[in-house]
Parts: sequence; structure tokens; C-alpha cells
Amino acid sequence: MMSLLHASFRRLRFASAFLVLAAAMQPLHGATIEQLRMTGTVSSSDWEAYRSRFVEDNGRVVDNANGNISHSEGQGYGLLLAYAAGDRRTFEKIWTFTLTEFLIRDDGLSVWKWDPSARPRVSDPNNATDGDILIAYALAKAGVLWNEPRYTAAAQKLAKAIGKNAFLRTGGSTLLLPASSGFGEDDRTDGPVINLSYWIFEAFPTLAALAPEYDWAGVARSGLSLLRQATSGRTNLPADWISVRNRLQTQPAEGFPPEFGYNSLRIPLYLLRAGMTNVEWLRTLNQRWSANNEGVAVVNVLTGAVRERLTDQGYVALSAVLSCALDGTPVPQALKEFKPQLYYPSTLYLLSMSLIGEKYPQCL
Amino acid sequence: MPLARGAIAIAVVGLGFAAFAQQFGDGNAQAPNPAAPAPASSSPGSPPAGSTPQVDESALRYFASQGDTRRVDAEIARLRALYPNWTPPGDLSQLSAGPVVPKDPLLDQLWNLYTEGRLAEMRAAIAERQGSDPQWKPPQDLLTALETAESRRRLINASDSEQWRTVLSVATDAPSLLTCANVDILWRVAEAFAKTDQPGRTKDVYTYLLTNCTDPAERLGTLQKALELLPEEQVTDLLRFERAGTDDFGAVRDELARRRVERASADSKQTATAEDLAVVARLAENESGAGNALLLGWYNYHHDNPAKALDWFKTALDRNGGPKAAEGYAMSLRALNRLTEAEAFAYEWRDKSADTMKAYLNIATALLSQDPPPRLDPPVVTRIVPVVTQQRHADGAQALGWYSYNTGQIPTARQWFRTALGWNADDEASAYGLALATQRLRDRAGFNAIVSRWRGRSQRIADLAAGRNPGRAAAVPQPIVPPPPETAPEAVVRSVEQVSVGASRAAPVVSRAAPAVVYETVSRPSAPVQVRTGARRNCAVTRSPGNLSADAALSLGWCLMEINRPLEAVAAFDQALRNGGARTREEAAYGKTLAYLRKDLTSHAAIAAAAAPQTTERRVELQATILAQRAVAAYRDGRYVEAILSLDERGRIVAEQNDLMLIKGWSYLKLGRYRDAEQIFRAVQRTGFSEEANVGLNAVQDALRPPR
Repeated sequence: MMSLLHASFRRLRFASAFLVLAAAMQPLHGATIEQLRMTGTVSSSDWEAYRSRFVEDNGRVVDNANGNISHSEGQGYGLLLAYAAGDRRTFEKIWTFTLTEFLIRDDGLSVWKWDPSARPRVSDPNNATDGDILIAYALAKAGVLWNEPRYTAAAQKLAKAIGKNAFLRTGGSTLLLPASSGFGEDDRTDGPVINLSYWIFEAFPTLAALAPEYDWAGVARSGLSLLRQATSGRTNLPADWISVRNRLQTQPAEGFPPEFGYNSLRIPLYLLRAGMTNVEWLRTLNQRWSANNEGVAVVNVLTGAVRERLTDQGYVALSAVLSCALDGTPVPQALKEFKPQLYYPSTLYLLSMSLIGEKYPQCL
Repeated sequence: MPLARGAIAIAVVGLGFAAFAQQFGDGNAQAPNPAAPAPASSSPGSPPAGSTPQVDESALRYFASQGDTRRVDAEIARLRALYPNWTPPGDLSQLSAGPVVPKDPLLDQLWNLYTEGRLAEMRAAIAERQGSDPQWKPPQDLLTALETAESRRRLINASDSEQWRTVLSVATDAPSLLTCANVDILWRVAEAFAKTDQPGRTKDVYTYLLTNCTDPAERLGTLQKALELLPEEQVTDLLRFERAGTDDFGAVRDELARRRVERASADSKQTATAEDLAVVARLAENESGAGNALLLGWYNYHHDNPAKALDWFKTALDRNGGPKAAEGYAMSLRALNRLTEAEAFAYEWRDKSADTMKAYLNIATALLSQDPPPRLDPPVVTRIVPVVTQQRHADGAQALGWYSYNTGQIPTARQWFRTALGWNADDEASAYGLALATQRLRDRAGFNAIVSRWRGRSQRIADLAAGRNPGRAAAVPQPIVPPPPETAPEAVVRSVEQVSVGASRAAPVVSRAAPAVVYETVSRPSAPVQVRTGARRNCAVTRSPGNLSADAALSLGWCLMEINRPLEAVAAFDQALRNGGARTREEAAYGKTLAYLRKDLTSHAAIAAAAAPQTTERRVELQATILAQRAVAAYRDGRYVEAILSLDERGRIVAEQNDLMLIKGWSYLKLGRYRDAEQIFRAVQRTGFSEEANVGLNAVQDALRPPR
């Protein structure tokens, strides 16, 4: 129940896509993760447009498509983007709110959801591992850049808590659980259940340096291996929520739509940001996402049926960065001016454009 | 400054409250930082020192040092609103008279943000200043105030989300929070200790609070928190901190007394003192709710004082005490042996809760089991039967068995004993009743079956078989003594017959005016034909199905149905139900339902139909027949509303049937709903049943004709 609740907010988002292309998957080879510089890759005008819309004065990052709730993911993205924009002022605000309102769990992880209309504001004390990773990652980067030991100490505490509570060693590999409760082997009949978009590869080397006693490299390996398995079906698309109870045959988790949805469409962005361009699946997806093909969409991974085509700038940016990274395709004109409307695609837009600015300026 | 106290308080959380409390006990005045005002004296009754310490005056001092009287006044007003007992420090004018520190607009802004609780923006402003001026550092008092405020917020959030370890670690890192100015924080820390199994430390926090903090409301609140979290002896121990003149912990003492009475209220081995009982009586008298009246009701009920219990339950009932009060009231009547009253009262409340239902069945069983058998009003027995049946209450069924037996209705008694055994197969008393009844009915095969089933499990059944019946009177379990059937008052016999599961009686005529109804519209199944033919040859010879395999018992059941011995068929189907697989059980439940329907035993049929899952088709068919029988029975008993309801329910699952439509019409007529009756009769008339419909229509006309 808790886990479903926890996973549900992303499904409320806007959206919309086509054809199934069966492309042969090549075996993945151990990819190395590259580090991003990030600073200065979000322009002050773009950041100002984002900040003024989605960040309140008290440091709360508002998901305006989900009843104006906040979540640890949003706080983490906010921190990361403030860092990339070099806005220490806003970084401090978001961090203060995150520390006092989110980082209250006994195990050191962040609660995942903060609802302004609920009393107490935290109605579900579970965590969301991607939010934890984003917060820790942004803090670690900022601690170094601004030489602020408060950030570094908090990043380290969180990194250790993630390693301790969200890593699941099973069958010789280390998985990343979506939350500390609700997704494990004993929590559900089809558990463990994972979410591949929670593997934020670019953060792993940074967090590994802070919490070296945990097997971050193993998590990265399992993520790549599970991605390969989950994309080997008819549609070559992973479901957002995947049961890995049977490691030889993963399948869409019970109780969730078997969809490549709002969660999973971040996977290519995370792979590219980590410099893992040699993952073969990216090429398959690039074809599917290309402008004269299906485009970015929510797709049933079993049937290939498109439930929703996603045309917001932020989702188009995901396909643009993919096409740019793989083929050197120039960024379409329509993406050059940032027009933020909803928190989630706007975030994806800035993360995509930040990557292009840093590593593929020739596409601009 | 809260720092000095804070330094001590680290020990509170970090090292242990005991050591801290000891140190603190007489050490208030020795707070190492002279800037800290002495805490209020802890001696009872003495007024607080000039200003209550620990209120965060940092912003106030800053504004004073700037000579900003407008802000000083605003801050004083804000702090007064927060801490009514607080008085502003007397040295503010000195501060403002001192050397004027060059004004820093940022500091102004920061203190403003602080007083408004805009902590994130404070952090942002500090970070921004440091960005442009790396040498700049915020003043220490500002930073401390900010960190403390952040900690407070985080601690409250963690506490609201029951993250107790976070509460304790924040408190450890921010000891300046742990002061009398933040009693709410102290309470939350105390709760965190309790929730992490450290009640000793919880008590230490409360002790600290009661020793040092002066606000009477907060002190009483502390005791009330203690009541929620600490064992009672520790709460009692804390009462010694009550300060004469200012504190009144009477409510806490009352609550402790109430709890002692509550514990004893359901346990007859524990007694409460007269003082405690008097306290609860006073509480009960002074409240409008039912809580304490109920408590005293149960206490007296469980301590052999049902008369007093009855009075308190009456009070509780009058105060909307609901089913709990009703249960107590009914059980007290029962304890007073006012069973007739108890039954009538409990009947009204039976559906209100599981406990009132239990009480009703208990009372009904007691009522039926009285010795000698009472003369019961027919409606009383009439209403007990469906409740016992619906609740599958084995004791109630057994009591009905004895009541029938004792009033000379042996077949009925046998039926009830069987029913009781169906609901509780190990009920030896019912088995004994069944054996007696079966013997009386000269059903040797049936009797032998019982004897063999209970061999080694019931001495008295064995004795019965061996002819060692020491006489009926002595053999029947207390409190029932079966009187000879001839002595049963006729009225009683009739009453039981009315409600009787009345074995071999032909269905009574529904009404002179209403037509007889054909119930058995249910067709027999075609599947088990083969099996049946095999068994037909020998099933006329009565034998117990007890030793048969499930399939053989099923065949026997169908065979007995064919030769129209449905009650024996029921026993055979029972055997199949007990031992058969899913398919056999389905068949057996179906057969059993048909058997009961054929004998007009509608409620039994309903139960049997639920014994195993049936196909939708069969379920509808059985349900429709059951509802038809129910309607006819209700009509026969004069329960016309129920008759209509059953027919309506039937009408929702199968097509209407003319004869049943007529019953509905007559029911409306009896209820005086002449227009409804007329409408029904006209509908029937249109379908060709004109003769019967006309009788009804004439009756309507008669009823509507104005009296002369």
C-alpha cells in the first residue's frame, strides 16, 4: 500500500507516442562512469525562470502537477540545479527546508513526500531512494565547490544511510531498493521490486568516495545488467516497476501498469550524464524516440501500445539530448528557449540542456 | 543565555538524565555563565525570579544595542505573547546607552528574518554575504539562535512522524532547546525516550521539568503526559512535586484511581478500595458522558453486586452509553435472574454489536434452560429461533432442543439437537439429547448410530444404550428436567409448534383466502442419477450413514430423497459434506437444501445451501425457493412486512410467480395498504389467474367500503 502510494505520484503527470521496433540488444560491457562538472551549465535566466516558478522562499520545491506537494526527488533536483546554476543562495534555502522537513527519519534517509494540505505534512514516512541519492549527490558536489563542511558531512551521512538501508545484496549482486520498506523480498509476493530510473549512475562515484564501505560499483553493474534484461522483450522497453523475484526472468511488477512511463524515460538521460553512451539500448531507444518515429511516449511494454505521447519541451529535450549524443543531431529550434510550465518536465529540460552545454556544445 | 544550561543538558541526553538531574538538583544558582539569569527557584510556593530565564532574548538584545526602540517594542510584544510570564530584562537601556556599534543593515535584516521564523532565507542571506565577503562571519548569538530554531523545527517534525531516534539525536546536538521555555520540546524528548524503551529517562525529563519549570498548566500537562507514557507507580512518584498553592494535581490522582478501578472492573479477583470507588463515583456524577458509569457498572457486575451494576448501567444508558451499556444492563438483569426482562431488553439491542448479540444468545439460552421449564410467551420463542439459527449458536440450539424435549415435542427436540451438533460436533450434551429424543421416537437405527459415534466419548450415552438409564429426570443435564410430555401446558406446546422446526407436520394452510403454494419448483440434479440407481435397491432399510464413504453417503441421500424420506437424507448428505471432495460437497449441500425445503425447514435450508459453493444457476434456484418458503412462513405467522420483503428479494433474482404474487397482495391487504393490494391483484388477474385474483379484489372492495 505504502509502496503503491509512494510510486503513484509520477503517474499523475501530463503526458502522451507508436511503433515497436525490434532491435537486437548487444551485450553490455562494463561501462565507466564519467564525472560531470555541471557548474555554470544552467544559465541564470533559465534558472531564474525555474526557481521563480517551482522554488518557494522557504526552500520548498513544488511539484505543481501533483497538488503542489513536494518530494525528496524534487528537493534533490532543486539542489542539483541550484548547484549547476551557481546559485548558492537558493541552494541554502532548499537545503534548509530539506534538512528540517525531510531529513527526519531515524535511519538517516529522507521522507519522500511533503504535502502542504496534510497534518502532519509528512503523511507517509517512507523514503524514496532516488530522492536520497539526488540530495546526497548535490550536497557532495556543493560541499567541494563552496568548501562547506556542513554539506559534505550531510552528504556523507546520507550516502552511508543509503548504502545501509537501500542496498540489497542478493544472489551475488547488489540491488538498489526503491525505498527502505515495501519493495523487498518479504514485502510483496513479487518482491524484490526495483525501479531502474532510481539508478542515478553519475552520482555513484561521488557517493562511493563518501561511503566506500558500500558496493556502489556493484549497484552500477546490477543496474546495467537489469536494464539489459528488462529491455530484451518484444518492445525493448523496461517497465517503470520491475519484479526481480526471478532473476532470470524479470517482469513488470504487480499493481503497477506495465509501462515504460514517467519514471523510466529518465534512464537514457542518466546514462548519458554518466557518460555511458556505449550502452547499446540507447541506440534502440534513439530510433524509437526520433522525430519521424514514435517520439517520447508512455508505452505498454507488453503490447507496445502507446498510452500517451509526451510533447512538453522537457520530454522532447530527452530525445534531443539522446540524438545529439549518439548522432550529433543539432538541438531543435523549439528547445532553445526555456518555457517552464510543470515541475517535472522543466527539471528534465534543465538537466538535459545542462548536459548538452557541458559535453555536446556543438549540438547547440 | 540558554547555553550554560544547555551544556548541562548535553548530559541529559548524551550521558543519562539521572546524573544530570542530580547535578541539576541543587545547582541552579551555580550555572557557570554569569550572564544567565538564575533559574526560578524550585522551592514550593516561591514566586518566580524577576525574569524567567531561557527565553531567547538574542534578537531583543540586538535591537536594543542598535537603539532601535520600535523594534525593541515589537520584539517585547512578540516574546510576551509567547511567554506570558516573561518580563523584559532590566538592562536593555544600558545596552542602548552603550557605544553604538556601526549599523550593519544585513544584521538588521537577519534578525528580522529570525523573528519571523524565515530560517531558510536567513541561511540564504548569510551564504550570499559570505560569497561576496569571505572574511565575514555571522555573530555567534545569531548563529546559535538560527541553529537552535532549525533544530527545534526538525525535532518537532521528527516527533510528529514518530522518528524517535532522530528526536533524541537532534536534542543531543541542540541542548539549548532543553529548557523551561520549550516545555513542548521537553515533552517530545520525554516521549522519544519512552518510545525507545528508556522510561527511566522519560521520568528524568519530567523530574527536571517539575523541579525547574514554573508554569502550573505546563506542570499539570507534564503529569498528564506521564500518565500516557509511564507506569503508574512512577506517575504516583512524580506527584510529590506538587507545589502547594500553585499546583493542583487532583485530576491526575483521580485518573490513577479510575485506572485502578478499571483494572479491577473486569477481574473479580481484584478489588478496588472504597476511596477509589468513591472517586470514580464522584467523576461519574459530575460528567455527562457514560464512561465512568459504565466502569462502575462492570465493577459491580463482576463483584457480585448486580443490583448496583444495573443502576449504573441504567445511568450509562441514559447518557447514550450505547451497546456497551446495553450489554451490561442485560447481563445484570440476567445475574438478577430477571430473565424475561433481560431477554426482552437484549432482543432490542442484539444487532447493535457483537457483544450485545452474545449477551442476547446467552440470556435466551438461560431463559430456555430454566428449571422447571417456564411458560414462555409464544412471541418470545418465535423471536429466539431465527437469531439462534442465523448466529449458528450451538448452545442456543441445544437449549431449544431441551425446551422442546421438556415440553413434549420430541421430533422438534431431535431436530434442534442435530442442529446443535451440526454447529458444534463435539457437543456431548446435544448428542445426549439427540440420543434421548431418538430413543423416545423409537428410531433404533438412528439411536444406534449415535451410540456408535459417541462410543468411548460419552458414558451416559453408553449407559442409555445399555439400558442403564437411571431415569429420565436424573439423566438430563441441569438445569433441564424433562417433564412428561403430557404435563406440558398446551399453550407452550403450541408456541413451540409455531416456531417449530416441526419435523413431520404438513405445511399449514397459509390462509383461507390465499392460495396454497407449491414450493418445490426446484428440479433434481441430473448428474448423480447413475449413482442413485445403484443405491436405490437397499436404501429403504434405515441405516446410519456415519460409516459410509462420502460418495456412498451421497448416493444414499439421493435414494432417500426418491423415497421421500428427506430428514434421513439430510443425515446422509451431512456425511457426504463432512468427508467429500469439493464436487461431492457441492452435490451434498444441494441435496441437503432440497431435503430441508421439502420438509418446509426454510432456515435450515438456507444454512445448508451455504455449506458448499454452488453454481450460479443452482444458487439462484435454491435462493428463490428459500425466499418463497420464508415469505409463506412469514405470512402464516402474520409477519406481513417480512413476507413482502422476502417476495421482493425473490423478485429480484427470478421471475414473479402468480401464487406468490397473490400472497404479496394479501400481505398488503392485511397491512391495510389496500391500493397496493389492489394493484397486485389486478396484475395477477391480467395473467389469467382471475378466480383467485377476484377473491382478493373483492376483499379489497370490502375493506374500502365505508362502514355503515
